[in-house]
Amino acid sequence: MLTGPKLKILQDLVGSYSKEELIWVNGYISGKIDTAGTEIALQADTPARKMTIIYGTETGNSKKLATDLATKAKKINVIVKLASLDQYRLTDITKEENLFVIISTQGDGEPPIAAKKFYDHIHHNGFRLEQLKFSVLALGDTSYPLFCKTGEEVDEQLHKMGGKRMVPIKKCDVDYEADAEAWFTEVLETLHNAPAIAAPSIIKTVPQTAVKSNKKIYTANILSNINLNDRGSSKETYHMELFVEEQVDYLPGDSIGIMPENPVTVVNAIIDRTGINKNKLVKYKETEYTIFDLLKKKLNISFLHERVVKKYAAIVKQEIPETKMDLIDLLRIYPAKDATVFEEVLQALPAQSPRIFTIASSHAAHSGEVHLTVEKHNFSVNEISKTGICSDYLAQVKPNDTFEFFVQKNKRFKLPAADKDILMIGPGTGIAAFRSFISERDATGATGKNWLFFGEEHFVSDFLYQTEIQNWFETGVLSKVNLAFSKDQPENIMVHHRLLEHGKEVYDWIASGAYTYLCGEKAPMSVEVENTLLTIFENHGGFSKEAAKEYFEKLKEEGRYSKDVY
Amino acid sequence: MSEKKNLSQIEKIKTASDGLRGTLNESLHDEVTGAMREDDQAVIKFHGMYQQDDRDRREERAEKKLDRLYTFMIRLRLPGGFLTPEKWIAVHEIAGENSTGVIKITSRQTLQLHGILKGKIKPTIHSFSEAKLDSIATCGDINRNVLCSSHPKQSPIHEQVFAYADKISTMLMPKTKAYYEIWLDDEILVDKKEEVDPLYQDRYLPRKFKIAIAIPPNNDVDVFANDVGLIAIIENDELKGFNIAIGGGLSTTHGNTETYARLATIIGFADSEEKTMKAVYEIATIQRDYGNRSDRKLARLKYTLDRVGVDWFKEELEKRTGFALAPAKDYTFTDRKDYFGWQQNAEGLWYYTVFVENGRILDDEKVALKSALLEVAKTGKANFRFTCSQNLIISDIKESDKSNIQNILEQFAITVYTDATSIIRKNSMACVALPTCPLALAEAQRYLPSLIDKIEALLNKHALSDEEIIIRMTGCPNGCARSYAAEIGFVGTAPGKYNMHLGGDRIGERLNKMYKENLAEPEILQSLDALFQSYAKDRNTNETFGDFSLRQNWVTV
Ligand code: SRM
Ligand SMILES: Cc1cc2nc3c(=O)[nH]c(=O)nc-3n(C[C@H](O)[C@H](O)[C@H](O)COP(=O)(O)OP(=O)(O)OC[C@H]3O[C@@H](n4cnc5c(N)ncnc54)[C@H](O)[C@@H]3O)c2cc1C
Ligand SMILES: Cc1cc2nc3c(=O)[nH]c(=O)nc-3n(C[C@H](O)[C@H](O)[C@H](O)COP(=O)(O)O)c2cc1C
Ligand code: SF4
Repeated sequence: MLTGPKLKILQDLVGSYSKEELIWVNGYISGKIDTAGTEIALQADTPARKMTIIYGTETGNSKKLATDLATKAKKINVIVKLASLDQYRLTDITKEENLFVIISTQGDGEPPIAAKKFYDHIHHNGFRLEQLKFSVLALGDTSYPLFCKTGEEVDEQLHKMGGKRMVPIKKCDVDYEADAEAWFTEVLETLHNAPAIAAPSIIKTVPQTAVKSNKKIYTANILSNINLNDRGSSKETYHMELFVEEQVDYLPGDSIGIMPENPVTVVNAIIDRTGINKNKLVKYKETEYTIFDLLKKKLNISFLHERVVKKYAAIVKQEIPETKMDLIDLLRIYPAKDATVFEEVLQALPAQSPRIFTIASSHAAHSGEVHLTVEKHNFSVNEISKTGICSDYLAQVKPNDTFEFFVQKNKRFKLPAADKDILMIGPGTGIAAFRSFISERDATGATGKNWLFFGEEHFVSDFLYQTEIQNWFETGVLSKVNLAFSKDQPENIMVHHRLLEHGKEVYDWIASGAYTYLCGEKAPMSVEVENTLLTIFENHGGFSKEAAKEYFEKLKEEGRYSKDVY
Repeated sequence: MSEKKNLSQIEKIKTASDGLRGTLNESLHDEVTGAMREDDQAVIKFHGMYQQDDRDRREERAEKKLDRLYTFMIRLRLPGGFLTPEKWIAVHEIAGENSTGVIKITSRQTLQLHGILKGKIKPTIHSFSEAKLDSIATCGDINRNVLCSSHPKQSPIHEQVFAYADKISTMLMPKTKAYYEIWLDDEILVDKKEEVDPLYQDRYLPRKFKIAIAIPPNNDVDVFANDVGLIAIIENDELKGFNIAIGGGLSTTHGNTETYARLATIIGFADSEEKTMKAVYEIATIQRDYGNRSDRKLARLKYTLDRVGVDWFKEELEKRTGFALAPAKDYTFTDRKDYFGWQQNAEGLWYYTVFVENGRILDDEKVALKSALLEVAKTGKANFRFTCSQNLIISDIKESDKSNIQNILEQFAITVYTDATSIIRKNSMACVALPTCPLALAEAQRYLPSLIDKIEALLNKHALSDEEIIIRMTGCPNGCARSYAAEIGFVGTAPGKYNMHLGGDRIGERLNKMYKENLAEPEILQSLDALFQSYAKDRNTNETFGDFSLRQNWVTV
């Protein structure tokens, strides 16, 4: 009897539910049938209702979902206000009645930059939201220890302030479609039956665990690992070629995730300092590990978040300033009384986060291998030079070593149709994505034109993949290449300066349909590039400041501007 | 006339180059490479530059997916090899900023800077030009840096003779303004008539063209190794004119029997400046019109001369100049060397000749020569002259300033260093070769010093340490350090392998011949040990090693 979209909705719904959820839904539906008796249909003739959808996004997933929801809602005559959290007037929240928040988690459990103000606003201003009915769709990734942390916090906080949960929070893993669809239906339906809603009380009791998308774990065998930077460079950027027994499921634009292991030296130092037995078995999040394995493989013990340092301070009962710190330093300066206290500390430590690396290869061009472009992080903390855990580990792996990884799809960062022109801006390791893009287009004979902007410190020592880029340029795969080497002249020249220099042509390309991609360092690079693009739109597109912004937004919506920044 | 048929590629590039402009500007703007475009690599030579790459680094960079480390070598135009202290300071600073920092004195009395990145060429030439220095025509198929006996003590009228180097260099300069347009941003020349070039036309010479002026009795310039050699004839301190020798050239090619080293043939005497200049000019035009333009290996004047014959050449020259050369005058060469340490000229000015191993001026563990020379230059009391054996003369010092300079030289231990250097080392030289020279088959300047250490020991062993034997090494048969005009010549054939040449005379009037082929160091030392032993035992009084080698029939010349 159900057909078409309705059937689909139902199937999606059912398909996406956990056992407990199905049981509940079952009860819920039957409940519905006895009451009004009228079947639930989201008809166009139902009285108009208002809803506000706000989203906080980094890579655009939340935005996409927010727009989908808005479209669906409009179809059934709901008056929708849709806003990105950096556009949303914070004071409006006290006036909202039906508020729907779609927000992702970034960093280690932090809100997206665009949502920071909103996040702080609701956390620090002591106002109440008695009139508010709301629901949160939290986007996240189960491979991060603080899964959907930001969504949870927002949900908690709005509730604390007096808001009523209209539909319980839904946490989504990286393949969020099914979960999101289910939440949509629930939201729209509840909105539709708002007065009749008896659900909340029941709903709150219902566990809302995300459908965990268990990512496939692959084993990489290192074929080669070379430092692309020449002698005299201040950088170390490694080109790694990985062989994987089974076909790895990835497309140009995707990344891989690696769970780094902590350096044995540090782990042993910690064990010595605390006098704990390295072979003792302890439970951490339902699993048993030896102390040694726990510290080496499972826990994040470096540059601990203020949040964690606070907990540590509580456990060791000492005053510790609010700052990020390595565990070993904490133990040195604010020692834990004994091994048992240290075991408490262990429980307070967050699990290790995966490190993401953009894939620098293409199946078509590199016969199934996975290539990476990894910059070793060298930095110093009060004169002591340190290295990033994962990049340092990767910098050291040798041919025939192996490590495990999973693929991190990036739906928002994909090549367009073969005949479309593309503009690639990828300084530093940002080149990874574009080595993948260009190789793919070369191997598949895509007809669209390709224009690359690359930048680094020195032409002589830091021109990553120079010979490959030269070949693509000579064979015409790359129709244009522009380079910025910041330290080859007194004034710092960066990719955004080159963009500006070629502004007219950049605009002409984009205006005539080219797709623009940005990959690499988030700040300051990606910010400068985006501001420069706006300037270019103003200078050469004859747009006002505002119009330029709108034009940029339009490009993003049409998927003609995408970024993969970090 | 010259062979129009199948002109060599370079010939086509020259004529198509629009007055040596080529596509240099485009090349300079190619962002993805440190190299010039193929044809432009030939064109820049005429502007005094060579594209090179660090051959030591090729393999490693290829693995890093980096292109070859392309850099450029710039060679200055210094007729007679002379610099004021101000100019020396300029070169010192430019070298520090844009090149490897090493200032290289060449075997033709000028300076080279290596390792200049494409993007730094313009700034470098700008700085040079601010110091009134240029690199025009120091490379390419054109007249090269003009040599002149370097030491003013050689004759009271040294200055008068020396002036010819500059006059000839100026007379034979190309007319194109390309150098100024491209490197110094002069505005583009519209009326190309201004640069019509009656001498070089649009095809230039078939090959490089070299001129040297010698003041007997010292043949320090190796006058007979040049396309045109002028021997100053001076009678009781008066310049009578010049004997003119033509067709010198040393380079050969391994396995190409048509190539050979040749000393210049004296064709007569010119008794006035006007005649001398005219003769030199028309010798160049004859080579322009009759030189081989299809095979560059056989394009030098020496081959042209042997093809047309000396008599024909003299007739043709007479036709073109409108006068006949007089019969050559007598002269004698007794030496071919630099006068190290303090020397005084007729006027009473002082000169200090510094030993510069293979012409490389830098501060190294042996001696801080570069810093010392900068100090000297800063006094403003001394000029700088360069010798054809890659050494340096701190020049024209007034009696009153001598002690001042002496102090600096002592302070930097330059005097000790020069004095302490063995005679054999002072009389030796090597070409650049690896890592910059693309044609090098074996090491030269990086290797000779250590070989000399061992040869010193051998000479000691046979009590020959005071002998002024001339040893020269080149990394390939092109002979840039004039290895064919040495008493003992080493010519690189492959990494670590050298042909050993013997029998050359001491004054540069007789070339050597190959004695043994493809020797590695142990064989070289073995051979020398035996040769030195018999030389010590059986030589006649004052018999040079070169002459002795011949008398022993170790080689037949
Ligand atoms: C710097 C210098 C050797 C030195 O250590 O001083 C030198 C260095 C080179 N010579 Fe030379 N030649 C140098 C004096 C000579 C001499 C000696 C002389 O002229 O008194 C000769 C032998 C005499 C002669 O010309 O026959 C000489 C015969 C050559 C040749 C062979 C020419 C021929 O007739 O075949 C080449 C190769 C060529 O031109 O094709 C050559 C080419 C080269 C090049 C430019 C290699 C190249 O073509 O790319 C070398 C650059 C190496 C580097 O990295 O600096 N060089 N070259 C000398 C610079 C002279 C100057 O200031 O202009
Ligand atoms: C989508 C995405 C794609 C990416 N693609 C690439 C890529 O293609 N190539 C690439 O090289 N990287 C890429 N990255 C970055 C990469 O995932 C890692 O973040 C990076 O390698 C650093 O990880 P690490 O473990 O080496 O350093 P970490 O140990 O995580 O340290 C990272 C930084 O934190 C700071 N820090 C750490 N410890 C301390 C301390 N004790 N005191 C003070 N400061 C400290 C330092 O600034 C350091 O640089 C990507 C990231 C994302 C999110
Ligand atoms: C650098 C980085 C850090 C992340 N940290 C977390 C995290 O701590 N917890 C989590 O649940 N998800 C984390 N994620 C996953 C994102 O929330 C997930 O990719 C989401 O789909 C992004 O949605 P957006 O495009 O709207 O920002 C992280 C992603 C990135 C790139
Ligand atoms: S002799 Fe050969 S190796 Fe030496 S500099 Fe000349 S061309 Fe190079």
